[in-house]
Amino acid sequence: MSRLEAKKPSLFISEPLTTVSQPLSLLIAILKSCYGPAGRLKQLHNGVGGYVCLTSQSSAILGHLSVSHPVLKVLTASVQNHVSRFSDCGLFTAILCCSLIENFKNLNIASCTIIKISKHLLSLCTDYLKSKACGCQVSVDFSNLETLLCLVRSILTSKPACMLNKTEVDCLAVLIVKAFMYTVPCHPETKPVLGKCVTVPLKGKRVLDSTVIPGLLIETPEIQFAKPFSVKRTSSDAVKVVVFCVSMSGDLFDPEEGTVTVHHKISLEMSELDQLLNVGKQLVNDEVGLVVCQKVIHPSLKQYLKDNHIIAVDRAGLSVMEPLSQVTGSKPIASIYSLSPSCYGSLKDVRAESFASKHFVHLIPNDTTVCSLILCNRNETTWDELKRACETAEHVLQLTLKEPLALLGGGCTETHLASYLRQKTCCLSTSSSKDVECSPTQYQLITDAFCHSLESVACSLSHDGGEILTDMAYGHCWLVPSGFPSASNWSDLLSKCGCGINSSTKDLNWRHLQPLFGSSPIESCPKEPSGKVTDFMTLDCFAAKYNGLQVAVETANLILDLSCVIEDQN
Amino acid sequence: MAFRAVNSRRHIGLQQLSSLAWAGRTLLGPMKACKFVVDESTDESMLICSAVRLMESLDLTSAAGQLLNETIQAQSKEFKTGMSTLLFLVGAWSNAILECLQQNVPVSAIVSVMSEGLDSCCEKVQCLQVSVHDVNKELCSSSVRPSASESKASQIPCGSSLNRQIYLCFQKDISASEELVPRNSYFPQEADCNFNKGLVWPLASFGSVASLVRSVDDGSTSVISGSGVSASICKQKKLTHSRYFSPGAKSHVSSHLGDSQVYLSGQSAYTCECYGLGHLAMALSHGSQPSMKLLQSIVAYQHERAECSGSSQFSIAEIATCCLPGLPESYSCVCPGFVTLVSPEQATVIKHFQDKSLWIVLMDGDLTEQYRHLGFTKPRNVKTILEYPSLQEGGSRTSWLSNMLDILISLEVNLVLVKGNVCENLMERCIANNILVISSVTQNVLSAFGEVTGAQPVTYLTQLNASCLGSGVRVELWKGCDERAMELGQLVPVRIKVQGISLLTAVLTTAVASKMCLIEDQFWTFVYRLHHALRDGKVFLGGGAVEFLCLSHSQMLAEQCLKLAGKKAVKEFRSPQLAAFSSEYKAVVLQALATGWSQYLSVVMYNTAKTASEFEARTLIDHHLQKAADCGSPSAYVLKEFRRGSMFRGCSIPFTDNEEGVKVYDNVTAKMEAWRRALDLVLLVLQTDAEIIIGPRRSQLLNSRSSSEFMFL
Repeated sequence: MSRLEAKKPSLFISEPLTTVSQPLSLLIAILKSCYGPAGRLKQLHNGVGGYVCLTSQSSAILGHLSVSHPVLKVLTASVQNHVSRFSDCGLFTAILCCSLIENFKNLNIASCTIIKISKHLLSLCTDYLKSKACGCQVSVDFSNLETLLCLVRSILTSKPACMLNKTEVDCLAVLIVKAFMYTVPCHPETKPVLGKCVTVPLKGKRVLDSTVIPGLLIETPEIQFAKPFSVKRTSSDAVKVVVFCVSMSGDLFDPEEGTVTVHHKISLEMSELDQLLNVGKQLVNDEVGLVVCQKVIHPSLKQYLKDNHIIAVDRAGLSVMEPLSQVTGSKPIASIYSLSPSCYGSLKDVRAESFASKHFVHLIPNDTTVCSLILCNRNETTWDELKRACETAEHVLQLTLKEPLALLGGGCTETHLASYLRQKTCCLSTSSSKDVECSPTQYQLITDAFCHSLESVACSLSHDGGEILTDMAYGHCWLVPSGFPSASNWSDLLSKCGCGINSSTKDLNWRHLQPLFGSSPIESCPKEPSGKVTDFMTLDCFAAKYNGLQVAVETANLILDLSCVIEDQN
Repeated sequence: MAFRAVNSRRHIGLQQLSSLAWAGRTLLGPMKACKFVVDESTDESMLICSAVRLMESLDLTSAAGQLLNETIQAQSKEFKTGMSTLLFLVGAWSNAILECLQQNVPVSAIVSVMSEGLDSCCEKVQCLQVSVHDVNKELCSSSVRPSASESKASQIPCGSSLNRQIYLCFQKDISASEELVPRNSYFPQEADCNFNKGLVWPLASFGSVASLVRSVDDGSTSVISGSGVSASICKQKKLTHSRYFSPGAKSHVSSHLGDSQVYLSGQSAYTCECYGLGHLAMALSHGSQPSMKLLQSIVAYQHERAECSGSSQFSIAEIATCCLPGLPESYSCVCPGFVTLVSPEQATVIKHFQDKSLWIVLMDGDLTEQYRHLGFTKPRNVKTILEYPSLQEGGSRTSWLSNMLDILISLEVNLVLVKGNVCENLMERCIANNILVISSVTQNVLSAFGEVTGAQPVTYLTQLNASCLGSGVRVELWKGCDERAMELGQLVPVRIKVQGISLLTAVLTTAVASKMCLIEDQFWTFVYRLHHALRDGKVFLGGGAVEFLCLSHSQMLAEQCLKLAGKKAVKEFRSPQLAAFSSEYKAVVLQALATGWSQYLSVVMYNTAKTASEFEARTLIDHHLQKAADCGSPSAYVLKEFRRGSMFRGCSIPFTDNEEGVKVYDNVTAKMEAWRRALDLVLLVLQTDAEIIIGPRRSQLLNSRSSSEFMFL
């Protein structure tokens, strides 16, 4: 008997921004404390002794957070959307967006004016970032690996929960770039698609035991193959492969509704197994050498295949299915009744290999854009964090291949943009404020709030109370090591700026980044950096940061524009 | 969702770690004080002496406790040894870091200095590694001629002259790599390093460089050849490249096979009857007699078996254990074949077998009607109808039983080894038909029988055909050293053997039933220690020698930092004020690192009753530290002391001629990994500033005592 319940009326909340201050400041505190290589970690757990996720990455934190305030829901949703598309710069986007909301809220200016002007400021930023004259942009040369390694190293070092030392970071950066190189096709004219890098988990081992192997590794529970390992080949010396994505465990189709009535002498299981064995017979006739099944193969079928010298690998898992068809050129078969020879693929060789205590079948194709990254870290928690970091790095390399640019990291892009905006609006303010119909003071205030938000992202890099400075020449960001007393002569304390491109000289004219409201803009446009791209620079992904900036400003504008929230309570 | 901030000065996570680790203090060292764990709900008690078992019985609901448990489990899974070291150092370093926080040292400084300090210590102690070959040669010779041990011992460094040559060959490559990736940028190198390089250093460096050469060969790395050097350093140090452990072409295979089998070839002339490993096993077990005797006979058996194949090997997969509580410990022994406990009814079947050669079936699942292979979903919504009900067929249950029995009888199977459970009724029917069915057999036992009898494991009995059967198996009642069969409680130990089987069962006995678990744990620990020593190809000088050098090294680094703090003009910083500041921090943190080693040593000395109190131990250590410093080169001092055998010896073993105590050795990788894991855990918890509790428990948290600590989003 079903029971109908009366619908609850919807909840109307007006002016949602008035109640957001307290949870917003808590969210900012969480996000800011995670930012950067010295960021603090968060223990995410259920409080009753379940799995503990130790992380400082936005993807993990925002994925687990359940916020109740509607404004924060909008905010986290848009940041998560950014992360799902770009993997990197999630914390940057979130912190910038939160600071923009906070700073704009404090201005007491009509939100439509703020929105107009911040859109204008955003376009100034994006135009500048895309322009050739941009002082915080570095072009990535794919013939020189150093920039790529810098990009990857910056991502790895900004994730302290991976617990990597310098040697391990260098080693992994090389592996990740190597893995990426394997996925780039040799002849892009014929097939301009990037391949896949499959991460093979090896938890409990040292990070330095990680390796990259071309081809695909599929884990098998134990060595179940005949010794010595040999594979049946076709006349053309290739190995014929068939891939099933349907379960071959011999269980019945699920009829969802209704019942099947069977005579007691008929065994559905047996008839299902007979069908499977028929498939096996056809595979033997077709000279197939390797059968891979995403799910489980019935032990009887396995035994039959083994007796006929066919290697059967089951429980391959969903994650290898796409690379599997890339490697073998076979089409995954979704029903055991639709077996056609056109679905077969081929491989150059198949081998059995073991790494540490795990056993694998190694599929070696003729020409491949698929590789396997055997990723090791000492325990489960740190491994999970490392895997997230490696996936981010791989994605960033792919984005960089599309748009071979990088931005200076270590807070330098943010402070540089802020000083560019300050300088630019200083000379434009009277004319621009007329364009957007507001007073020059309002325009100035909003610009200040905008720049301050950018700078507060850079400020989040310091966690132990170390001071953050910016210089008047390049507009870069400089971190004073924490615990040191304020010195009159900054050049004694500083050696390199955040991204590592500028070295300190006496004439840089530093000032504190923190209390910048109303500070005077620099006279000229911030200069391009003096140094050249060096080996150990901090670089950020251009595409991710560029998009993150847009997402942050647009989300902040959207949230400022909210006048009421109607919540469906059913 | 709730959020709880962690107070940074009194870091609650570190406090939790330190209090959890405190419980494991007595488990440190070769003389462990056991703990009684009493389960209040069942009144059962158990004697434990390993950190893993301790973790199992502690309340670990806090996040830090969970992480600690995870770390210890990971170490246990990987090495089976070093867990109490790990647990102890977690506690010691947590306390030391809490002190640092009290002194306002910034977290980032603690993290970087601690981890670089540990890296530096790990490099430093490489000079205390000895190759397994040298250890064996020395231990065996000293057992043959105890009086000559002194002169033989001095040959350890000489044994590596070949290594030195190799080292010279590759020195160019190494120095090139060191330019790019300075291993130890933080700390100035000590002057006496050169002294040690001849000893074991070359082995390790050779391995890493060799892998560089190979990785260039395969062509795939040409893309990144510019940075190939840094890659080579990161590669695993494959010690199979040492001439002692791998005959050229085999190296690749064995390193991949690596985990279950370790080869030790090239040693044909044994100087004593220990076959090259027995004494090593003794030195690694730190003087625990009963387990060591078992281990020595395993080594002897495996050696005898492998002699025809020309190499001596030690294989963990070929060892099983059978625990017989209730028998005195003198009954412990090693039997070829598989020893297990069966019910008296099953034992009657064995009497029927007498000395017949039997047919065997191996099953890798359960032997029940309901059992289906993994991944099989039972169909729902299927109705079976019976058109003509007949009284003869008593349902499907009996028909399954008789089907299975028919299969077994028609194939004349005598013995079934099952990985999982066995249906009770089937078991009874089998006994009635003189078929012995044994349940809960581990995978490695199944594989061993499969290998030697030719039996193919099956999942269902319906899969059986003649080719799946194995033959030549004999079953008998297990007889102790007094040649009597016995019954323990309601169970009878039986022995299943096949001519030529590689499997050995260590029969572990104890008159005190609650000690059973402890004895089994200990046995496996020693087995794995030997295994890892052979896989590493080298061992550390034991008895605290390594920790002592770490202590002296980290203290020396701390002193150097203090000196720098006093001096002016340091390269790194332009301002003397800044240099002084950073060096002071560094000194404090390095001292915290040293505290860990110092506490470790003093607790070990106290636990082994070498000193009457921890305080006395600390005085003794300080005394030795002073002497080491006076000597100029701490590593040389440690080597000398170890050879003299006063400071770094295990406890003396009764019934041996050697009164001064045996030389003890430790595993290299397991030990260093335990250090690194301990420090990583402490630093991870240190860097945590908040707990985020997820899940729909808001109201529960609001009502809890500590609700004021939480903030809600």
